[in-house]
Amino acid sequence: MGKILAARLARLVATLFAVSLLTFLLVEQLPGDPVTALLPPEALHDLETMERIRTELRLDDPALVRYGRWVTDALQGDLGKSYITDQRVADAIRDRIPVTMELALLATVIAAVLAIPIGAFSAYREGGRFDRVMSGFTTASLSIPAFVAAIFFIWLFTLKFNWLPSTGWNRITDKGLLANLKTAILPASALALAPLAINARLIRADMIGTLKEDYILSARAKGLRSRYILMRHALRPSSLTAITIFGLQFGALIGGTVVIETIFALPGLGTRLISGIYQRDVTMIQGITLFVATVYVVVNLLVDLLYLLLDPRIRRQ
Amino acid sequence: MSESKDITGSPDAKSKGNGRLSAVKEMPFFVKCALFWLVFIVSAAIYTRLDRLFGQALPLQDPFYQGFLFGGASPVEGPSLDHLLGTDILSRDNLSRLLHGAWVSLAVAITVVSFGIVFGGLLGAFVGYARGRWETLVMGIMDVVLAFPPLVLLLALVAIYKVRSLPVIALVFGVLGIPTYVRIARANTLGVASREFVQAAEAIGTKRIWILFREIVPNILPSLFAYALINAGFVIVIEGTLSYLGLSVQIPEPTWGNMINEGRRDIRRTILPIFWPGLFLTLTVVSLNMLGDWFQQRVAIRSSAL
Repeated sequence: MGKILAARLARLVATLFAVSLLTFLLVEQLPGDPVTALLPPEALHDLETMERIRTELRLDDPALVRYGRWVTDALQGDLGKSYITDQRVADAIRDRIPVTMELALLATVIAAVLAIPIGAFSAYREGGRFDRVMSGFTTASLSIPAFVAAIFFIWLFTLKFNWLPSTGWNRITDKGLLANLKTAILPASALALAPLAINARLIRADMIGTLKEDYILSARAKGLRSRYILMRHALRPSSLTAITIFGLQFGALIGGTVVIETIFALPGLGTRLISGIYQRDVTMIQGITLFVATVYVVVNLLVDLLYLLLDPRIRRQ
Repeated sequence: MSESKDITGSPDAKSKGNGRLSAVKEMPFFVKCALFWLVFIVSAAIYTRLDRLFGQALPLQDPFYQGFLFGGASPVEGPSLDHLLGTDILSRDNLSRLLHGAWVSLAVAITVVSFGIVFGGLLGAFVGYARGRWETLVMGIMDVVLAFPPLVLLLALVAIYKVRSLPVIALVFGVLGIPTYVRIARANTLGVASREFVQAAEAIGTKRIWILFREIVPNILPSLFAYALINAGFVIVIEGTLSYLGLSVQIPEPTWGNMINEGRRDIRRTILPIFWPGLFLTLTVVSLNMLGDWFQQRVAIRSSAL
């Protein structure tokens, strides 16, 4: 176990190094003067500011030196400063990350909680009416783009029924859990559609195999109720795969909330990234990209380790 | 399948005799519908290009003609004989814009799939068969690209490169799509390379490059195609998302994504200008997914019988 852990950590460091290099190069190899890329177009005639930035960033140093400095700063939590809004990138991320995290978490939970019964009962009555209806449902929810679903939800639940707000965000700390969920449930549901379909399909496929095992037959022969068999006996071996998938989905969703946040105008990391893109705020784009990729890589590693920890067969080796 | 065939040729040789049409006949009803929709969308996209080539001589409305300025239509009309699917906010014909928009989605998807199969497939097959230092290097590079969440690297790239014409967008998508194909091709190559017909070819002294192209590539192609169908759907969604954000091919060129974005401003009046592109997008992706699933099953059955 210790050996595996060390190998994974070494790999993590190597990947993060490469990821940071790639993020740095994205901007570095832009043609022309980097100062023109950093500044908004209207500031370009201001030669004084341009000169100040050039010395501030020590742009005349070789690229490798600047990369080293950028990474060292990033390791200390300093991702630089936006030259457009004058905000520190790290502060922007700290402000925005709770919303993105909550959305990703909520979507993962919705997808997991709904997928388990759907997958389990589809497997239990394989080829039956429920199974066929659900197979159609999963194909559809896998194929509807999240942003189309989000707009459709707004049209239906805000404009037609007037049940839920279509924009804005209530912080848990300010307005309490219920008001928070009211603003979070629509975006989270739109995000959950595709993972839900994937989970339901995987659990179904996994359980169809499990249900053919002898110990299920013996549990049936003992006269246990089928609901009990499904949830206690058949689901347990599938839970390892399921937990891995849920974890990976959570990691992917942190980057995947971008559009949904924009549609619902939520104060998350994604909206900041997009506004950074519209303003061509290069430091901000670079910082957020590095941050999101790092979280993604680390979450994936944690999920891998969790899997090792949970599976006794691998743990014992 | 006889031994000699395994050695000399691809195992697909037999099925080719049955003709391609029999595969269509074996399809379940819904998969046939999916195929029909895809054929329709592809021909519509080609038709719009021909229409532009001939200076809009073919029977189809002009996708840029604004009826309220020049007469003939008003904004957000319902369906009528002149405008089968109604008009949008700027009183342009919805149907024509949808069909023209199909071209962008399909062009990007087809670029990604061909880049993936040609470059990714070959690279993956090569390193999977050659093994050694090259394999470590190539797979390492691919892992780094795959370490980014898919949308985020793409956003950063299109954000920094300001040029957003169709060729540039298709190229960026195409390059970023390659790593997954390399992975799949390599994984499948590892499996195929240990099979008897490859060992037999090695034993009789066939050149390794010859084995790569005659024995390995034909056998990993079906799984690459199956992935390509699903991947094409995914790419269309991502392109739509970027278009929606205004970060793909720029207006006034219609794309499904930017039509949805434009329609959003008037969502209180009518949902139709959003509904149509949303429907086209979803139907195309559903079709690709269903066809991909079906193809995947066939590949799995066939490779287990190989």
